[in-house]
Amino acid sequence: MQENYLAKWLNNELTEAELAEFKKSEAYASYQRILEAANTLEAPDFDMEEALLAVKNKRIFKDNTKVVQLAPFRMFLRVAAVVAVLLAGAYLYLNSLNESITTQYAENKQVVLPDNSEIVLNADSEISYSKKKWDKQRNVNLEGEAYFKVAKGKRFTVITEGGSVAVLGTQFNVENRRGFFEVTCYEGLVSVTFNGAETKLPAGTSFIAINGKMINSDAPETNLPSWMNQESSFKSIPLKYVIAEFERQHNIMVETQNVDTDQLFTGTFSNTDAHLALQSISIPSQIKFKFEGNKVLFYAENTP
Amino acid sequence: METNNKENVCEEMVFTSIFKANSTTVFNYIYYKFGNEEKAHDAVQEAFVKLWENCGKVSPEKARSFVYTVANNLYLNVIKAEKVRLKYADKSLKTTHESPEYLMEQKQFQEKLERALDQLPENQRTVFLLNRIDGKKYAEIAEMEGVSVKAIEKRMHLALKTLRDQIHGI
Repeated sequence: MQENYLAKWLNNELTEAELAEFKKSEAYASYQRILEAANTLEAPDFDMEEALLAVKNKRIFKDNTKVVQLAPFRMFLRVAAVVAVLLAGAYLYLNSLNESITTQYAENKQVVLPDNSEIVLNADSEISYSKKKWDKQRNVNLEGEAYFKVAKGKRFTVITEGGSVAVLGTQFNVENRRGFFEVTCYEGLVSVTFNGAETKLPAGTSFIAINGKMINSDAPETNLPSWMNQESSFKSIPLKYVIAEFERQHNIMVETQNVDTDQLFTGTFSNTDAHLALQSISIPSQIKFKFEGNKVLFYAENTP
Repeated sequence: METNNKENVCEEMVFTSIFKANSTTVFNYIYYKFGNEEKAHDAVQEAFVKLWENCGKVSPEKARSFVYTVANNLYLNVIKAEKVRLKYADKSLKTTHESPEYLMEQKQFQEKLERALDQLPENQRTVFLLNRIDGKKYAEIAEMEGVSVKAIEKRMHLALKTLRDQIHGI
């Protein structure tokens, strides 16, 4: 009998002789019996459609989980990128950030620049400059009014919305309020650029522009701006700018009633005594005022 | 053959037909080995999901042996075989003229066979049942198990021999 004859028998691979011999053996019947019983065997139920559906679902699920698995890293990259951009931006911003000095109403400040140039800021004003670039270019941005005492050196430029002032080394005052631009030179020579036109201001002269129009003005009699002596001086300046200056110096709200604020005002008011200042403004302008708390009302004499 | 080469397992139709042709056998194969339906279900899932993931690399001709290999490797030396429970098709009902004694005796024999099958070494049982229930040729089983046809014949031979010895209490 050949090797594994039982397996061969099942596969009908036995020779005639072998099959005959096997059939004669007593084991044959019992093997036959086993096969008969085995033929009635069944495997457990297997729902193929359900399994296929499950595979397809799992496929989708796996695809999804893959995304989920990758997501934290992508998220990290995103966050990292944002952080990097923010850091780079903040670094650049802080690096380029200008030094900035501001004064509030009724406040003056003295600023010493890196080259020992001095700036005195009048009330409600702001200057800013780049400390990093100061060695290369002496540029100061100004809003409001300030007095400059510039150390000798490279070109020193004051940039305002109204116009720019360039000097080499001198003392001068720049005022740039809404619609009002004034430069007064006290020493040396100042170059004022206004509306693209350059004007040279020798010592003791002023440059005034109101609402974009240049106005001839007389030379100042003092060698320092009046506000530095706790006074505000005006020469043929519209009353509204005078009132605005009063508001800044005394931090007092001003209202007007039936008052021509375009009339020109010449005179001086105190920056320390509000009541005195109000009289200084109202009497020459022939108007009256009511002073209540932190508010002032100017009104024409003939109205109640 | 040319059309065959163009077929891709990644295509839904091809994948589905491979699944329908082989999933039941994969299920039975793992069940005969370990006697655990749940594990057999998982093996089917695992094998075909893996097939899908590798559909670009596995040609349709290789897909069958691929899924058997995956299913086989899944539980390699990991789980212990449990009791294999098989159902018996109720063929006796159709032959009502059989005597109750005969039916009784038949039932006892089936129980004996079941116990004997359970006692078989896993590889012999798997070969025997794949051949007897699923009608798989020795060559196909050899492909599943990754062994030679002769080894399968040996297992089959031993399976029958052991079953007889067990049932007749030798």
